[in-house]
Order: sequence, then C-alpha cells, then structure tokens
Amino acid sequence: MSTTNTVITEDIRAKAKELLSSGEVKAFLGFTDGTLPMTTRPFVARRPEDAERLVWNSFCVMNLANYLPELLKGVEPPRGPKDPPPEGPLPKVGVLATGCWSRNIVVQIQENQVQRDRLVILGIGSRGMVDRKKVMAQVGGKEILAVEEGEDSLVVEGRGFKKEIVRGDVLRDNCQVCVHPNPVIYDYQIGQPVPAREIEGRFRQVDEIEAMSSEERWSWFQNEISSCIRCYACRNACPLCYCPTCFVDDSRPQWVGKSVDPVDTSIFHILRAYHCAGRCTDCGSCESACPMGIHMRLFTKKLEKDVLELYGTEAGMDPDVPLPLTTYKSDDPQDFLVTEAGGQASEQGRK
Amino acid sequence: MDKTSVHNKEWEPKIIAFLCNWCSYAGADLAGVSRFQYPPNIRIIRVPCSGRVSPNILLDALKSGADGVLVSGCHPGDCHYISGNLFARRRFALFKRFIEFLGIEPGRLNFSWISAAEGEQFAKVVTEVTERVRALGPARRLVKEI
Amino acid sequence: MNSIPNHPISQSPNSSAPEGSVLVVGGGIAGVQAALDLADSGFFVYLVERTSAIGGGMSQLDKTYPTNDCSACILSPKLVECGRHLNIKILTLSEVLSVEGEPGAFRVLVRQNPRYVDPNKCIACGQCAGKCPKKVPNEFDLGLSKRKAIYLKFPQAVPLKYAIDPRYCIRLNKPGRCGLCEKICPAHAINFKDVAREEVLNVGSVVLAPGFSPFNPSDIDFTGYGRLPNVVTSMEFERLLSPSGPCQGHLKRPSDQKVPKRIAWLQCIGSRDINRSGHAYCSAVCCMYAIKEAVIAKEDAHGDLDASIFFIDMRTPGKEFEAYYNRAIEKGISFHRARVHTVLPSQNDDNLLLRYADEHGVMKEEEFDMVVLSVGLELSKDAVELADRLGIKLDPDRFVDVDAFRPVATNRPGIYVCGAASGPKDIPRSVTEASAGALEAERMLSPSRWTRTKKKTFPPERDVHAEPPRVGVFVCHCGTNIGGVIDVEAVRDYARGLPGVAFAQDNLFTCSQDTISRMAETIRKEGLNRVIVASCTPRTHEPLFQETLREAGINKFLFEMANIRDQDSWVHQNEPEAATEKAKDLVRMAVAKVKLHEPLPYNSVSVTKSALVVGGGIAGMTAALSLADQGFPVTLVEKGSVLGGHARKFYRTWQGNLVQPYLKEITAQVESHPKIDLRLNTTISSVEGSVGQFRTGLSDGSTIEHGVAILAIGAESYRPEGKWLYGENPNVHISLELDQIFINDPESLKGVSQAVFMHCAGSRVPERPFCSGICCTHSITQALELKRLNPDMDIFMLYRDIRTYAQRERLYQEARSKGIIFIRYDLDHLPEVRQEGENILVEVEDLTIERKLVLHPGLLVLATGVRPRDEVSELSKLFKCSVSADGFFLEAHMKLRPVDFATDGVYMAGLCHYPKSMDESIAQAQAAAARATIVLSQDAIPTESITAIVDQRKCTGCGVCTHVCAYHAISIDPAVGKASVNSGLCKGCGACVAGCRSDAVTLKNIGNRQILAAVEAAMDTM
Repeated sequence: MSTTNTVITEDIRAKAKELLSSGEVKAFLGFTDGTLPMTTRPFVARRPEDAERLVWNSFCVMNLANYLPELLKGVEPPRGPKDPPPEGPLPKVGVLATGCWSRNIVVQIQENQVQRDRLVILGIGSRGMVDRKKVMAQVGGKEILAVEEGEDSLVVEGRGFKKEIVRGDVLRDNCQVCVHPNPVIYDYQIGQPVPAREIEGRFRQVDEIEAMSSEERWSWFQNEISSCIRCYACRNACPLCYCPTCFVDDSRPQWVGKSVDPVDTSIFHILRAYHCAGRCTDCGSCESACPMGIHMRLFTKKLEKDVLELYGTEAGMDPDVPLPLTTYKSDDPQDFLVTEAGGQASEQGRK
Repeated sequence: MDKTSVHNKEWEPKIIAFLCNWCSYAGADLAGVSRFQYPPNIRIIRVPCSGRVSPNILLDALKSGADGVLVSGCHPGDCHYISGNLFARRRFALFKRFIEFLGIEPGRLNFSWISAAEGEQFAKVVTEVTERVRALGPARRLVKEI
Repeated sequence: MNSIPNHPISQSPNSSAPEGSVLVVGGGIAGVQAALDLADSGFFVYLVERTSAIGGGMSQLDKTYPTNDCSACILSPKLVECGRHLNIKILTLSEVLSVEGEPGAFRVLVRQNPRYVDPNKCIACGQCAGKCPKKVPNEFDLGLSKRKAIYLKFPQAVPLKYAIDPRYCIRLNKPGRCGLCEKICPAHAINFKDVAREEVLNVGSVVLAPGFSPFNPSDIDFTGYGRLPNVVTSMEFERLLSPSGPCQGHLKRPSDQKVPKRIAWLQCIGSRDINRSGHAYCSAVCCMYAIKEAVIAKEDAHGDLDASIFFIDMRTPGKEFEAYYNRAIEKGISFHRARVHTVLPSQNDDNLLLRYADEHGVMKEEEFDMVVLSVGLELSKDAVELADRLGIKLDPDRFVDVDAFRPVATNRPGIYVCGAASGPKDIPRSVTEASAGALEAERMLSPSRWTRTKKKTFPPERDVHAEPPRVGVFVCHCGTNIGGVIDVEAVRDYARGLPGVAFAQDNLFTCSQDTISRMAETIRKEGLNRVIVASCTPRTHEPLFQETLREAGINKFLFEMANIRDQDSWVHQNEPEAATEKAKDLVRMAVAKVKLHEPLPYNSVSVTKSALVVGGGIAGMTAALSLADQGFPVTLVEKGSVLGGHARKFYRTWQGNLVQPYLKEITAQVESHPKIDLRLNTTISSVEGSVGQFRTGLSDGSTIEHGVAILAIGAESYRPEGKWLYGENPNVHISLELDQIFINDPESLKGVSQAVFMHCAGSRVPERPFCSGICCTHSITQALELKRLNPDMDIFMLYRDIRTYAQRERLYQEARSKGIIFIRYDLDHLPEVRQEGENILVEVEDLTIERKLVLHPGLLVLATGVRPRDEVSELSKLFKCSVSADGFFLEAHMKLRPVDFATDGVYMAGLCHYPKSMDESIAQAQAAAARATIVLSQDAIPTESITAIVDQRKCTGCGVCTHVCAYHAISIDPAVGKASVNSGLCKGCGACVAGCRSDAVTLKNIGNRQILAAVEAAMDTM
C-alpha cells in the first residue's frame, strides 16, 4: 500500500542515489531499519547502492543533526591538528531534515559547528513520529513482533494478537505540540509540506507544572530524576551537546559530583537543560534516548516557553536572528528583580 | 552548621552576594559611608561585572549551602563594560525562572541593579533579601545530606 | 610641603624649551578631563579648584540625558583617576591670583586657603562630623539639607578628606571653645592653626574651566521663587531626585515633605529673556534636562505623576535627543507650548496656580503641587573676576570670548578655555572642549613632554610560582572605625589559624605611611607570597597596597582585600559579635581566593608613533594638523580629489566668519606640512591590529602602520529628489546650494522679492527621526544674508521649533527684528508645495492664528539636514567599532567619552559623529587629536592584566563569547576553529567566561576556581 511515508522513502532513495552518483555529496545521512520492530537507526550511505537501505517511517526519532558535525569532519581529507585547512571547497554531505532537525542545523550553523555550503538538505514536513513506548502500552506491554504502517494507523502483531492503533494516539509528546513541522532551510523538498499548525496549549505540560506549588514542583522534579542512572544518553542524543569536555567531567572546578545522589543528579539536569536554553527545538531525542523514561523534555520546554515569552524568539527559525543569550535588547523584561517594596516576580511564569 | 532545624534559634541565614565592582560594590561602600545599617548575613564577593556571573556559579553557591544568593550590577545603560549587565539580565531571567520551575524556592536567587549612588537602596535590598531568605528557612534542596 | 619651589628651567636640556607643565583652573568635569588628557600625555598638571573637592556641577546631578546614566557613578571613576594620578597635583580651596609671562613660560600665583584638616592624616572616617555640634546649610544640596561645620563635600569627594568651614566653625571663631573634632579624630588630623599659603607655579600653558553657575531666579518675581517653598530651581530638583540628596532619591516637595503628584517645569527662566534676566541667549541644556527630570521623576513615581513642561520652542538638537523627546511624549509627559506669566499660591495646601496663555492666546489656569524653574547657565561671579584678573575678554553674553575657528582659544595666547565658561553647553560638548583645550595647551609644549612628570620604579619581582602559598594577613583597626565594632585581635588570631596563612598582624591604620613601609619589610622578611589586607574598600585602597607589594618585590596581583569597614563595621554598628564573625568569614574567603591567584604580567603594547586620519574635510584636516604640529607623522586619506569636504560649499559660520578664506588657509597648511602624508583619491581597504599597532591597507595598494586612527569622514546633505519641487523647479534649493550661490553669484539673489525657508524638510519624521541641529541656525543665517542683499525681500520661515541653541539665539532675535516672518507648522499640518505655471506656490496653515497662508516665493530653500554616509558602516566593520541607530558613528560613552570609540586607539570627529556646526567640528577634531596624543606620546601603552584566556582543548568554537564581548577582543581563529583572546583589547569583564558553556574561557585570577573558592570558604565547605 502506498502511503505518504512509502512515497517519501522512495523519493529519499532516488535523491540520495542521485547525489551520491553525481559526486555532489560524499555521504548521505538518513535512517535505516533497526533490529527490533518500531526502531530505526541513523545510517550513512556512502555509495549510490547504499541508498536502497534508507527508510522513512514513523519511528525516525533520532535527530540527525546530532551526527552532522562529526560526519562533516569525517569526510574531510585527513590532516594533522596543526595543518592548515585544505585549499578549495570541502566535500559535502546530504541529510534529511524535518522542522526541528532543520532548526538544529540552523543553530549549528550559527554556532560554527556545520557550514551551510557543505550541506545538501532534503527537507521533509514531519507528520510527527510515534512513541514506541506508547504503542507497547496500548498492547499491555506484550512483545510486538511485526508492525504494518498505514497512512493513519499502525497494525501491530505479536504472539496471539493483532491490533490496529490510531497513529495520532501514539505520537510522541513533543510531536503532539509541534508547531513547526516543516523544515526552515532545505535544498530539496521531499513529499508535501505539512499544513502549519497552531496548537492551543503548546506549553500545556509546562503550564500544569507552573501551576503547582514550589514544594510540589520540587517533588515532581525529584521524582522525575530519581531513576536517572547518569548514563548521559540524553546528552549524547542531543544535537546541541558537542563540548569536548562536558561540565560533568570537569574537575577544576568540579561543578557536579559524579554520584547518583539526588543533588548531583539535580545539578546535572539543571545545567544540561540550561545549556540548551534558547537553542533547543524540542526534537525529543533526549527522551527517546533515555532508557529510564525520564521526561527531561519538560525541562527544556520550560526554557523554550520563557525564551519565547521574554524575547519573542524560537531557536533556529532564522540564521540571521541571533540566539537569545548572545544578544539583548535595552528594554528586555526585568520583572525578576528584587524591588524595594518587596515585590518580585516570584512565582513567575504564572502571570 | 545546623541545617536540620528551622526552629533552631541559632540559625541565621547566610547569603552570598556577587556585586559588580563599578556600581553595586560601590553602592555597598556608600551604604557604609552613610552608615545605613543592614543585617549581617551577607557575604560579598566582588566581581568585575554582573556579566561575569554565570548560572554555574549561582548553583555552586546553593550547592555549597548558601541560603540565598544576591547578584547585583549596574543599572541597564550604566555598565562599565558597555553591555555586560544586559547579557546577564537574560541569563538571570531565564535561570531564575527555570530553577524556580524545578522547585527551588522563589527568593533563594535574587537580582538587582544598584548604582554607586544608591547606598540606601543597597541596605534596603539586603534587608529585604535577608528577611525573605529567613522566612524560607535553611536551603536544603541542593545541599547534600551527609 | 605645599610650597612649590620655582622649578629650575635647567630641567629641560634647552633653556628656551617651554615648561612641561600646565595649569588647569576648575575641577569640574571639563577641568578634570583636560587635566587627565594632559597628564596622560606627558605633562605635569596643577589642577586648581575653588572648593574642597573636585567634581563640579556634574557631581550634583542625579541622572544624565540621553542615557539616564547616574551622574555620580560615571563621574566618580574619573575623579578617582585624577586624585590618584602621579602627575596631577590637585590644589583645593585655591584660587588663581595672577598669571604673568609668556606662552611656554607662565608664572602663576595661587592662593591655597586653609583646610584645617591635614589631608595626609585624614582617613575620612567621619567621626569628626558626627561630633561637630554646628549644623549649617549644605551647599552641595543647595541648602536643602544641613551639614556640619566640618564636612566632606559629597560622599565620593576627591580628595576624600574632610575640611573645616571657617565661616561656621565654633573653635575658629571663638578660640578655646568646642574643638570636639580635634578630640575625637583618631588620626590627629585636625589643625586649627592652618593658614592660607601663596605659591608660584611655573607652567607652559593655562586651561580655564571655571564652569557655570545656575541662574538665580530670585529676582524673577512672577515665579514666586524664594516666596513659595514649592517653587524650586532645576538644580535643586536634581538634588531632590538624587539618591544621595536630601530625599534619598524619593522625591518630596520642600514645604510639607509630601510626594508631589503634579509638577510643572517652566522653561527659559533666565534664558532668551533680555528684559528680566538680561540673558538674550538660550542656555542650550534646559530643554533636555527638563525632559530628563520629568522622565526620571515619573519613573520614580511608577508613572503616578503628571509632568508638564511649559516651553517656547522644544530644543532637542543633540545626538539621540529627539528620540529621547519622542519617548518622553510616549511616556505621557505633557508638553505645553506656552509661556507661564504668573505663579500664585493656591488656596489648597501649598499648591501652586499657574496662569498662562496657550498658543492661541487663550488664558488658562492650572494647579500644580510643585514647580521647577528650568534656570539657565551663566558665568559665575568668581569666574568673571578671574577673567578680569587674567585679562581674558568676555563676549556680550558675558561668556569667555572665542573664535569660530579656534573654539577653545582665549584672546590671551597660551591661555585656553573649555566647558560652559565659553558659552552654555552640555557635558559631552564640555568634555570634548576639555580635550580640545588639552590639545591646544600641549601643542606648543610638545618639546618638553615628559620633562616635568614623575615615574615610579620598583625592584624586580620574586618568582613565586614554585612556592607554596605563604599568606600574610594585615587586619586594620582604622582607629575605632573597625576596632570600635569588630574584635580585631580575634580576627587576627583567627587568620593565623587558617591554612596557608604564614603571618597575621593588626594595625591601627594600615594605610598610614609608617605601616605601609613596615608592611613591605614584613613581606620581604617573612617571605610572604600572598597578601590580604582586611580594612576598608579596595575601590580606594587596593592600588596603594598593591604598590606596596611591588615595593616589596612581589607581583601586585597576589593581593586581595577583605572589606571589613565599609561593608562590615560601618553597617553592623550595633551587632559587634555578628560583625566579628562576618569579618572572619571575609578574611577566610579572601585567603581561599588569594591562594589561587597567580602573578600576572604588566602587559603593554609598543606604539607606532604615527596616525591615520580618514577624511580631508575641516575635521580631518584639523585633526591631522593638531597631531603633525606636535611632531607625529600623519597619513591623511581622502576619498575625493580635493581637500575641504563639506566646507567647500559653506558660506559663513553662524558667528559670521567667511568660511572660504579659512578653508584656503588650512588647506595650504595641510598640503605643505612636512609631517603630513596626503593621499587623495584613496580609501581604506583593510585594517589589522589594534591600538598602538594598526596595519591598514589603502586602495592605492600601499600598507601603512599607525598607532591610532581618527575617522572624520563627514556626512552628506539629504537631497529630497522629487519632493517639494526639488530638482524640478530651478528656484528650489537645499541649504548648501544657496550657500554656493552666496559664494559664486550673490547678485542673482537681489531680484528675489519673496523667499520661503522650509525647516525640517525630511528631518524629525519617522524615516529620519533625528534633528540635524544645525539647520535652524543655518537657515536664519541665510535669511539674514538675503536681507543684507535685498532689505525689501519678504522672508518666511516655516518651522516646527526654532532650535537656535546657545548663543545662536542672537541670530533668531536679529531675524525677528529685521521683519523675517516665522510660521510654525506641525506634522499634522505640513506645508504644501506646488508648481503653478512657472511659479512656486506654498500653502501653509499658521497654527497661531489658525489661518491658511498662500505664498509665491521666488526662492524656496529646503533645510534638509544631514544624512550619515554609507561609508560609516563599512569603516565601522573594518575598525570594529559601533554605529548608532541613526547611522552615525557611536562613541564609547555619550557623556564622558564623546570622541572615543569603544575600540581603543580609534577616535571620531566632525559630522560622521553627528551633525554639528563648524566650531564644534573643529573642537571635536582637536579633542580627537588630544585623545590620540595620549597613545602617541608613549613608547608603550599598558593593557589590562586581568584578561580572559581560552583553553582551546575545551573550546567548541561556537562563538557565544564573540557575541557577548563588547570589545571584539575574542574571536574565532579560522585556522583552528577555536576562540582566542586579543589581550590588548580585553578589558577583563568576564562576559565571555559566563557565556561559555564549555568552561573553556577563564578570567585570570577571577576564574571560576577563584570565585568558587571564595563561595565555598564563605560557607566553610572547603
């Protein structure tokens, strides 16, 4: 059966093959099927024939931007650390980009991690990706052996059961509240743009937490991170995290202890999320990568909400709009200041 | 340091203040010159500019057991380094909202602009912050229990 | 020790060489700036100040427009710099009695009145004033508060020394009585036997900066000033607003201390008013300060204030002023174009009833809680007497007389003037003139540079890298200032027990001369390699103690202070135990931090002693000559094929001087000057390097090396093609085109029977919101010229506000008296211009009489104002400097650094900064040259030691640091894709450190390690 995703898969394969054959790109970054049902993994096609292994389906959850800086370095001619950059243009790489991934690419361009002229971007309007954990919950946690994807449904099959699931019911949380499904930069459009969405309650989950008391929020936060095993899968999946030495590994000074003591874990999550302030596109990779089911997206979502509310910008929408922490306005809001009258934007966010 | 009992009469909050050299630190000096009295709970660390203060440092103060933190710089437009306080204003606004979202009590982290001429204002802000922190009780949420 | 011996001329190798010293008279912002510029470029300066401290009028202001900077805050660092300068000797309570001799060799007689407090002993603890029983009106607050007979002029006074006012002191007036201050003074600084001293100073030049005095409105009866307590002057209002003033920054009106809800400002009190005040001129600053006071008062009241300004013309012609005015309108300040004729006491409370006629002549009455009189500026009586003693000529407005082409030179050679003494002006123009005055003063003294200056030398420094920390702690009693509250011995003993502390001692006065010398000895003897002084504030005393470290042979950055006085004993006077605990914490924090300090280099860059000047107009040529005359080689680059720029089209200055002869003269000087390398038809193509060492590529393919650059690229007239018949009718001209007719073919204008000037043609509109400032005056000058050519010509000026600021007002009065007709329009009633056959038809509604007028001028002049050049943005990118929202170059600080870019070693002058008249351009060019001379006169210039440094292994090259650096000091090295710091440009603010997510940037000695050590020590979690 021909669905949007199967059509897109064919188009990706054709375009990737063309780009690799013509030599325009040296590598093409997309997805291929994973070993388990409902999984995919990032895949680099280097020869035209590799293009046949590329797929596009509802389980392409990892943010490809995360792999771009390394891949770009990888295709450069080898050179020593002190050698000057080679003369002439460096080889290009092809990549798939949905709304959020393309915005991460923009952020990476702004932060000098990738160069626009070395990328051939195949833009895809995202219909939203499916949360595997939600699908499994729909079948009571039974092992799923096969999945057939329809246009708006999934048929899952296991030992002794077969169930049709409405796709919309099992979309990832971030995809449900996504307002920018279409890529902001691309060279070729694959498939059709997805109608723009304006979602009521885009920050609903954040609003709910803001409505709690300070005590309740602290309990929520502590409860959320209590299962954290400090494996850093969230950090590793994040296209924004590329420091050679992460703050968690600093020793002079040591910002955060290496234990799973709640204080250390709290500080890890606070700083990790804060480092994403104004840069995060809510791609959801962190949550998808987390083996413990921690909803760390909510941390960055809060920052996304505040940046939009205070400074009117969203990460990666336009390479010419500076990232919010690299600029200022003379009349930026400052109701957080202590005032003499004792008033202060205390329980902020509720106003 | 007894962090276990809020009701312990001995407990006095300890507040770390980061003051920029050019305005707020001078404002604190002026409070002294003018003999404006304020509670003795504050420990001032002089920094070149409020723009020098990163959220990491603020977290570290809380982690080290500070019951409250105050950061003060020049008023917008007065920065000795042109724009340090304006970048800082964004960092602080986001960070304060963020950690309060995660359940750190409002009032632990405090920010103000105090000029070199605002000695009385400095004394008032310190008094205000001290009272607020005292009402919150000892900060425990980011302090490891030993 | 105060008597200055006659310095033997033999100090200079050649006995005919001029003196290498300069006298500056007046310690306000202008005098301070002139003194600093001169001392920094190699001259010894005597700064003579009439009162007990420098600071002048600016120190009394609350905020300053248009940035709303706190006045004291931005001024104070300059005062401190002046006070600490090795080559500035401040003579307070002093007057100049006479100046004899010639330029290059003046003999100045100065009388220094007694202070009765030994400044070498006074520690400014204030205990004397605490005890003094005599309360007297505080002049600093204009009598709105009281001070004691022994007093500090204001909290940030420089020198920070008390003085006894002999008019009021009980002891001085009745010997044997009182004397309490002498008894309490812990430093034994009181000297009732102090006497006046006269001394002779030998100087090469004199710069006068006596400043202004606010007009006293006591005789302007209708205002009620003096009778009605809630009528105050603007200067009094500044004090009422000021956080350090009588209301501690919370405005209350004088009669009943109520918070006013309705305030009126009356403009032009003592200005533009020959009848009542004798002042025909406009005071130039009052419109802006009234707006500022209204805005600040309204902000302080959180909007709960009706602020009304009653004015004749709203004059906001300076940089960013019009935008400030527009914002004030948006913020709800009311502007009434009306002159109030009566202020009466109201029946209610102490309120005031204002009667005025509005623009249409309708009588109105309105009640206010308070009235502020926007008083004008005049030369003080003291300054008039000084001018008289020195033979300095005054102009008819009784300001010091100056020439349009030499705006800071007085009639007496070698004596210069700057600031409001030569005409009403605001702070930035005073500061500009101060630097210009410095330039004129040093211009002919150049051969004697560095002959009278002093320099400190220090022994070589011990290398302490390998040594474990040995910290010495010196705890100060400060008499009873600290010791009276804090248990100093306990703090000392506590310090001894801290890890790393090798020595601890307490002193009565750590800053006293003998303690300082002993401290140096102790450092050497005990082998200390880190030092803590627990005493007062590092803001005043750190340099002194750091110098002691250098004298003891260790690096001055191995030092830290614990502020246990200003921030401890003085603010916890009733809690000795808590204060003592706090002192221990502060010492512990300082020790923890200083142990991580490293010796830092005293950085400097060597200076290429030549300059680049870009732009060959009046400003560029003036700057080039100013430097070349001092012997510095200058490359003058001009885009066009001739020198002269805008001035080639200019007929007369507003003062009436013909421009073309002057231009011819200065052009010839530039062309023949042996030190000026003139490059016509040339532009800048690349710029590398930074202050001291620029390498600039020119369009002719050559590269020049220079230490400084002055950008003076001018601006252009706005040409309203296709509007108002411009370019369509031959009798429609923009202003400078009419000047060209005056120059080339004045006869052709004689036949014109009617002329119309349209002011603000394309200015003060949303597309070009700024006011060009010069067009009103220029148009009126031209109208008067037309009247000279044809006295019967009917001339109509269509205007929005007439902005003939300062002494230009005289021209406006002359124009009115000559029958030139002024018709006001506004944006809702724009004049219409149409072609009617061959003729021009102008239709305008007269807002005063509310009638339409139809004019048929034979000449229509469009006063189109000035437009910034496109090259501004190109050059700003090359020199890494900033551009304002209006498209002009942006100075480092609107008030106090009006010719500097934030980028060191680059300066601006002339129209590229903002529209200005020719005298202002010349002064600015001289000022730019003076600022540049500071760099060029040194072999090497010091740069910041506490700079940022990048650990490239941790750097991601993301560039956040480059965006947050205001100085372009950190950039991504394209070869490696990592950040690196140009320590010559870095100012050590640490914005990059806080911005870096990877912890790859640190600030030397104020890195995260040091700050965290202090934090953790504060919480005792080390």
